[in-house]
Amino acid sequence: MLNAGLRMPTLLDLQRVMRASIVQHDASAMVEALAVGVEPGRLDIYRNTIFSGLTRALRLAFPAVERLVGDDFFAGAAAAFIREHLPGAAYLDHYGGEFPDFLSGFPPAASLPYLGDVAKLEWAVNRALHAPDKIPLDLSQLMGLSLEDQQRGSFRVHPSVGLLRSDFPVDEIWRAVLDADDQALAKLDLATEPNFLLVERGVSDVAVTRLQGPAWQFLDALCRGESLPSAIDCATDVDAPSLLAEHLASGRFIAFLLDANGAVAPPEAA
Amino acid sequence: MPPVIGSYASPIPAKTGIGLRFQHHHAVIDARPDVAWMEVHTENYMGGGTPLRHLDAIRRDTPISLHGVGLSLGSAEGLDPAHLQRIKQVAERIEPGLMSEHIAWSVVDRNYLADLLPLPMTEEALEVVCRHVDQMQSYVNCRILVENPSTYVIFRHSTIPEWEFMAAVAARTGCGILCDVNNIYVSAQNHGWDASAYLAGLPPTAIGEIHLAGHAVRQLPDGKILRIDDHGSAVIPEVWALYQEALARFGPVPTLIEWDNNIPPLEMLLTEVRRAAAFISDVERGVAYADAA
Repeated sequence: MLNAGLRMPTLLDLQRVMRASIVQHDASAMVEALAVGVEPGRLDIYRNTIFSGLTRALRLAFPAVERLVGDDFFAGAAAAFIREHLPGAAYLDHYGGEFPDFLSGFPPAASLPYLGDVAKLEWAVNRALHAPDKIPLDLSQLMGLSLEDQQRGSFRVHPSVGLLRSDFPVDEIWRAVLDADDQALAKLDLATEPNFLLVERGVSDVAVTRLQGPAWQFLDALCRGESLPSAIDCATDVDAPSLLAEHLASGRFIAFLLDANGAVAPPEAA
Repeated sequence: MPPVIGSYASPIPAKTGIGLRFQHHHAVIDARPDVAWMEVHTENYMGGGTPLRHLDAIRRDTPISLHGVGLSLGSAEGLDPAHLQRIKQVAERIEPGLMSEHIAWSVVDRNYLADLLPLPMTEEALEVVCRHVDQMQSYVNCRILVENPSTYVIFRHSTIPEWEFMAAVAARTGCGILCDVNNIYVSAQNHGWDASAYLAGLPPTAIGEIHLAGHAVRQLPDGKILRIDDHGSAVIPEVWALYQEALARFGPVPTLIEWDNNIPPLEMLLTEVRRAAAFISDVERGVAYADAA
């Protein structure tokens, strides 16, 4: 009957055609696949649901960015981002990792040079919020090793820990914006020294802490998997033993890897 | 043949439950409302931290059902093993009383389109869905339920009525059906189907759960009314009536009140729960009378 002569799309064809209609607004092939009498405008419902759902996920992860640029600007930037960066899976707590770099290169946002770094901080906070629960390594597990093993092994960092360096006081901007603290915003000095930040999930909340440059470099090296001696080489004038004790006491590491065959870790953290 | 399947730790009773959303975590933990079971979206608990800690506390005295919204059983390209693994990790932590997914697709070429998109009702789609239901059931080692969709478009090359498609998935894989009564109403209105005939086409023994929710009504440029499944309001009288019809056909079934947009205070959800519970009681009494007769 009416179907005669039209090639029936495979399921994969149809799914690609539907994506094109939703993401690229190219509904020509999709319209052919619809049953007779189905108004193509109905496809807008799907587009609206997808874009509003993903925009909401970005708003949840980047609340300070949203306040800095305003609702409408954020919605426009989010829509442009979504078209280029669809999520890879339905795990939306992990969606938006490329948004900070997107914003840094987004010409309409060029008047806010710190926007990308604020977004990077918010992404680190978001990662810390949603990181899996892991049992921390404790000092006694490390003390059981020979000195030689302590010197050659490397730490595995807790997945909530993030390190960030910015030329702007992004932590102050972030706090002032989220607290709607206009006085603090007015007092901000954008031309400060480089800013070294540690982001992690504490017992109940996410903490953003400023570190001294060398202490940050030491932790950064450990997080990258450097051995203790080479991490000490990466940072000048650090009190490595006391910094290490603090990192362990704060649960920032979950395992100590000796080599491909050996690791020291709490029972469920490996 | 369906794989050999394990069983659930704490089954979901044939009573009314609520869809648990973050907004109600504190209210539920503090007030301990009298709700027989709760359902959460699996994808919301794939990380650690506070949400999972709250759910750990809530599940100590309330059976939990895990309702996935993103596995994309209908993807032509196959299931994402990483997502399947995340689902299993949540299940191992939460020990759910039920697990369910949707007859829909969301992923193509590894792009996740964040919605439950409609499948053509074809033999090819049926085979794809059945293969993926088999895969999930053997991976999580449990019988799952699959939910009928709400749809706004239908396809030129569809050859199988949706209710027959649902019944065939259950028959071929051994899975159960999550009968979303609001979705049946929405789709029937949108496409001119007979909602009662839809219910009559579902195999009663496969029905493992019912969903109830509100929906929105929108007028399209062509003047036609489109019903949109937004879970943003109370259940409407026509859907309550269809629910009674479903209970009469299927007997008492675990029934969930879902509310995902314009989320009201917990008390409003509990009002809907009590209303559904009264209908279940009616059916149970009816069953008892029939047994006595």
